[in-house]
Amino acid sequence: MEDLKAYIESGILELYVLGDVTPEEKLQVEEMALKHPAIKAELDEIEQSMEMYAENNAVEPPEHLRSRVLNSLLTNFGDDSTFKDKATETTSNIVTLPSRSSNSSFYQYAFAACLALLLASTIALVTLYNKLQRSNTQLAALQNDKQQFANRVNLMDEQLQVFRDASFKFLKLQATPKAPAGASITIAWSPARKKVMIDLGAMKMPKNDKQHQYQLWALVGNKPVDLGVFDASSDSTAMKQMKSIASADAFAVTLEPRGGSISPTMDEMMVIGKF
Amino acid sequence: MQSLRNREKIAVEALYDMYSSSLYGVISRIVVDTATAEDVLQETFVKIWHSFSGYSAEKGRLFTWMINIARNLAIDKIRSKDFRNQNKNQELENNVTFIDEQTNTVYKPELLGIKELVAMLRPEQKSILDLVYFKGYTHVEAADELGIPLGTIKTRLRMAIQQLRKHFN
Repeated sequence: MEDLKAYIESGILELYVLGDVTPEEKLQVEEMALKHPAIKAELDEIEQSMEMYAENNAVEPPEHLRSRVLNSLLTNFGDDSTFKDKATETTSNIVTLPSRSSNSSFYQYAFAACLALLLASTIALVTLYNKLQRSNTQLAALQNDKQQFANRVNLMDEQLQVFRDASFKFLKLQATPKAPAGASITIAWSPARKKVMIDLGAMKMPKNDKQHQYQLWALVGNKPVDLGVFDASSDSTAMKQMKSIASADAFAVTLEPRGGSISPTMDEMMVIGKF
Repeated sequence: MQSLRNREKIAVEALYDMYSSSLYGVISRIVVDTATAEDVLQETFVKIWHSFSGYSAEKGRLFTWMINIARNLAIDKIRSKDFRNQNKNQELENNVTFIDEQTNTVYKPELLGIKELVAMLRPEQKSILDLVYFKGYTHVEAADELGIPLGTIKTRLRMAIQQLRKHFN
């Protein structure tokens, strides 16, 4: 009995009535109330006084609210199969909350619009990106072309210099019996500038194979001096500058193992020319 | 009660007439905005209606059950995001005295016997009881709000209700 008194005085019953207990405490109070009539009576009294207190603090709701609430309940009846009144009232009196529903549909539309916008921008972005890629490729190709042209112009300029320069002498090296008839190479030589050029475009020589290369020699007082190696191929058009030399009596070309030799293989002399 | 279970129209009307003002008294103290308070009262009755089968008389009085539904709906409402957005400039939860003044003007003229009650309850008892009963504070929140130990809160709550019992009996 002492325990019950302590339990009542703990204030838990008041909190229970006020709805301010945990679910476990709630179960416990309900269990105690079932077991002990004293607690049940105490609870009842607390509830009664709180009810009276609420009544004392009552606020009359606005008049129009009564029909609104009742109608909304009647609408709910309409959904219920247990509704016993006539169903006629139910349809005309549906209480809607227009602001809320229009609000949510606004967000739905806004969301849909955002999605559409996102999709459109993504497509536009991809298209633009592809265009940019194409433009970049074209630009690279154009730059490449321009570089090639610039290189060619430089080369031509250089070659033109040779022809303009009065110090250059031209010499046609004629075929030896070793070479096919009509073989020839034209070289340009400027003793003043110590420059030797071979005109690869005007060259008429049999093609050399992979193991061999032509080698140009200058004969200075019957001593051969190496002036460098070159290849004879059908697509060579430029003038090729060889090693420099200030004086020479004659020029000759021999066929040597690839990379050239220290001294010329006289058997393989293809063309020769003298000033 | 039986007709309520059978969901008759007349029962709803009786229920509304008996309890709407008491429930609205609690709701309108928690939710200050009139339109929202009206919404909550409507939601309360709809919920009472739908979950009526969940109420059993052995567990307590009908009114206790209903007022807990009303209080919970009202608290849900003021804590919901929507409501906060509408009322950004009113700090509801931290401004109890302000709300008190506001609501006082609403309900004072309609109340009989309120002076007796005020005189009967000591101010500190009344403030705690009202925080928990009418504002939906838990006793823990009330302890925080008033800066009083939990034990004292519980005792004062109990004393306040004891006073009410004496008065009403």
